[in-house]
Amino acid sequence: MKAQVTHFLKNLVTIKGKNKGLVLYLDDQCAYTDLLAELKTKVSDPALDSDTEVTVHLNKRYCTDSQIQELSEVVQTNPHLKVVATTSDILTVEKSDQLIRESQSETYVGIVRSGQVVKAEGDLVVIGDVNPNGRVEAGGSVYVLGRLKGAAHAGTKGNRDAVIAASWLEATQLKIDDELETMTDELSSLSEQPEMECAYLHTNGTIIIDRLQELRFIRPQISTFKGGS
Amino acid sequence: MGEAIVITSGKGGVGKTTTTANLGTALALQGKKVCLIDTDIGLRNLDVILGLENRIIYDLIDVLEGRCKVHQALVKDKRFEDMLYLLPAAQTADKNDVNPEQMKELVFELKKDYDFVLIDCPAGIEQGYKNAVVGADHAIVVTTPEISAVRDADRIIGLLELEENIDAPRLIINRIRPHLMKAGEALDINEITTHLSIDLLGIIADDERVISSSNKGEPIVMDPSNTAALGYRNIARRLLGESVPLMSMEKAPPSLFTKIKAVFTK
Repeated sequence: MKAQVTHFLKNLVTIKGKNKGLVLYLDDQCAYTDLLAELKTKVSDPALDSDTEVTVHLNKRYCTDSQIQELSEVVQTNPHLKVVATTSDILTVEKSDQLIRESQSETYVGIVRSGQVVKAEGDLVVIGDVNPNGRVEAGGSVYVLGRLKGAAHAGTKGNRDAVIAASWLEATQLKIDDELETMTDELSSLSEQPEMECAYLHTNGTIIIDRLQELRFIRPQISTFKGGS
Repeated sequence: MGEAIVITSGKGGVGKTTTTANLGTALALQGKKVCLIDTDIGLRNLDVILGLENRIIYDLIDVLEGRCKVHQALVKDKRFEDMLYLLPAAQTADKNDVNPEQMKELVFELKKDYDFVLIDCPAGIEQGYKNAVVGADHAIVVTTPEISAVRDADRIIGLLELEENIDAPRLIINRIRPHLMKAGEALDINEITTHLSIDLLGIIADDERVISSSNKGEPIVMDPSNTAALGYRNIARRLLGESVPLMSMEKAPPSLFTKIKAVFTK
């Protein structure tokens, strides 16, 4: 019983002000139901009477999506509070594996032929041609050491910084995040000799094609190389 | 044990059946024992091109369903002694009446008795295609210098590369019209081979006599003076392991001397 007493003595929900909003730090050792009850009382404090954006920080507690939803709803029982983000110090193994895959580069050696689709969660390097009606997709950027004559989609999961680069960029369609460009003759940016070119998403939401050499100025963050002389 | 070669293209009308008939004939002329299988069930026509239509008694479906023995269904081409046989497709069934296991077994049995088993594949990538490729050891992809045919060839090569029993497919470019290629109106041989990036087995010139000879039931390859026939003969020799240089498609440009002569003889 002693343990439970200390439980209630400890503050299960700590509220801190940060920048414009509030951060609710939730205890990660107590029972979930206790936390929920404590949170309910904390947010109904009449002192919280101005519209505020709230971040919920779960510390080292693992919550399912429905629990996160439940916690947000409890916070928003106070009409002045709006949950804008939920953060946590822990990751599931599955999620961490996914993050690793998304940060890695996968290499495909061969020709992506008509009707074939090659997908990667992170960056994709194709050594070979992508033929018409062939398709390459990547969560990150797409690099083709060969002729890109089919369709390419970079940043499939919303990475708008992703680029498409090819030794020969003669694609039928380019897509970055959800912006699609069909490479028809009307497109003024198409060159006669589309050698060593890259495509990126301009801040105005259109896909721009430029020389490959410009990439280091346009997307310096793509470079992950460290060291050297 | 012979080898089984499937002849396919994806697109229809590029000359799969003509190629099968002519290559089979050319191999038989080279003294090889050849069996041709028409897998285009429901739309057979390999028998017509070979001029064997009247002599069909049983067909592929009869064999697979056990109504006859394989040797009863095989139609012998009397022009080539004992060298060329055809297993005709059924006209009254459809492609779904055959399953890949049956085909595999049949091709395996035929390989024991023949040097070459050439399988004429139907157009498309559905059941008929699957039945045709399942028993093959090699594949020949036929295309023409048209973008639509090359697209389909690319698709079919992608599918063939996934088949574990078949080694790297080889290419035949059919119906080449040198003047169109030279004028840049049609894809040239180089463009097609770099695009598809598979080995080129041979090229066949477009020739009206190919059509007239098919109509007569005499494969063009039997006429040794014809350029298309020469193309097929060269391919047959390459299949037998000879190294035969690619024949030149265009006539040599007129020399200065002939030009001058032309001026005077006008």
